[in-house]
Amino acid sequence: MSSHREAPGILKDPVADNTDVYAWVTENDTVTIITSYVPIQAPAGGPNFYEFGSDVLYEMHIDNNGDGIAEVKYQFRFESKNFNQNTFLYNTGPITRLDDNTWNRRQFYTITKLKRQPSRRGQLRYSEEFKVGGIPCPPCNVGPRSTPNYAALAARAVKDLGNGNKVFAGQRAESFYVDLGAVFDLGDLRKFQDLHLISTPPGTGVDSLEKVNVHSIVLQVPIKDLTADGRTPRDPLSPKSVIGVWGSASRQTGLYRAQGRRHSSGAWRQVSRLGNPLFNEVIVPLARKNEWNSKTPAQDADFEQYVNQPELAKLLPVLYPRTFPNLKAYTKDRADLNAILLTGIPKEVGIAGFQNFTGTTKADMLRLNVAIPPTSNPNRLGLVGGDATGFPNGRKPTDDVVTIELRAVAGITIPLVDPSFTPDGAASLVTDGTTDTNAAHLRGFPYLGLPGGGYQTIPGTTSAS
Amino acid sequence: MQPVTRRSFLATGTAGAIGVAGAATIGAPFASAAAADPADELSPSEAAAHSGPTMVHIVDAESGRIEILHGERTIAVTDKTLVARVLRASR
Repeated sequence: MSSHREAPGILKDPVADNTDVYAWVTENDTVTIITSYVPIQAPAGGPNFYEFGSDVLYEMHIDNNGDGIAEVKYQFRFESKNFNQNTFLYNTGPITRLDDNTWNRRQFYTITKLKRQPSRRGQLRYSEEFKVGGIPCPPCNVGPRSTPNYAALAARAVKDLGNGNKVFAGQRAESFYVDLGAVFDLGDLRKFQDLHLISTPPGTGVDSLEKVNVHSIVLQVPIKDLTADGRTPRDPLSPKSVIGVWGSASRQTGLYRAQGRRHSSGAWRQVSRLGNPLFNEVIVPLARKNEWNSKTPAQDADFEQYVNQPELAKLLPVLYPRTFPNLKAYTKDRADLNAILLTGIPKEVGIAGFQNFTGTTKADMLRLNVAIPPTSNPNRLGLVGGDATGFPNGRKPTDDVVTIELRAVAGITIPLVDPSFTPDGAASLVTDGTTDTNAAHLRGFPYLGLPGGGYQTIPGTTSAS
Repeated sequence: MQPVTRRSFLATGTAGAIGVAGAATIGAPFASAAAADPADELSPSEAAAHSGPTMVHIVDAESGRIEILHGERTIAVTDKTLVARVLRASR
């Protein structure tokens, strides 16, 4: 998965598990950033429906000078309240407004924007740009009796912060799609499983995430609020046009339990982060995934070896014998993946009118060239499909990042940096075989689809053979 | 983390805060062991000003290095005497 339960530590802490990060240029010279948490929610999961962690610090980070350290940060803190002390229920009647007295368990949040200041005695310092609190989250989608007219109800949770900023935080339909069941069954790709080491007839990809929800924070801000010079760049080839984005979740150092309550104390310690999809999931070895989650992009040089010699690129020729002979023979460091994931793609690579290079600092960030305007003709394969508004130039919710990264790892992007290499024919075809069968995206903010309702979403029977 | 001397640590009243957390976690033995010099005790106004849990993590008993977790800060302190009192009380 992009980063759902991707490390042994964070899988035990779902409310802090940063599952996906999206960042793309939207209308009116804005950037929209989404960070999602609380993965794989069964919509019927009551009576205590899903929520953000009230003891978690959620952050969106924006680096605009290529050092792997945020110059701009947006922080989100949530508070849960019980409005009815005498019921076990989430709601005691239809919820028709965000302040409806039938709604017992509610969440509110505070957004704070921080801007980096010159360091003092080696310590990073940030100043507060604005802080807005008391913003309500919508309820989870319980069912037509509890949350009728859910679309309209949730839409009221979009908060206009002024000056071109708006925010939403709450339950949404999962946007990421992938055939988890096959991929983690020894790297099976159902469409090509006749070529697998353990061969069976070809099948059709299954979207494992089509019936689940997540909790997402969606923020739209003017581009000029994120760039180093406070302007909206128009030249895609200018270094000033590129920002790096990642999300994180942190918990306080100490946790103390007493009388049914939890108390946290001490400095915030990062427990989850995500920039490029699947980085920690399929690049970083299991033994180091927790460590990676605790670090910042500025420290990612320590993980560069796994990008240069990715395990998955070695596995593909083993799992699919005779399918990837050229990849199998390629033993050089993967400069293509190094550029895509750790530095951005320099203009010297020669993709016409495009670059998202942030410098030599090796840092896993979702790099976005904000001078490239939105397109009316997007391609789910992003840059490899000829659409410079998609991954790995940022990431839109509709991007098929599994296929893009599979093909990149399989060698389709090696010729960008090493013209002597000829990709295997399979490299441009490889895919997990899924199509986007998740709930439809919204046309406008907050873009992610409406969460599946607990009543409406019908689970299927498990299969053991 | 901010390095703190024993003097400034005591002056800000954080040592008393350890007593609050310690009493909650290990009970009377620590409270009696911590009752050393009355001059080190918190004044009533200092005690009243304390809020929220304060936790102490002994990082290295030999060097006396501890971390005090309070609010959203982690404060590094080196205090062999304090570490000795805490560890003896925990036996």
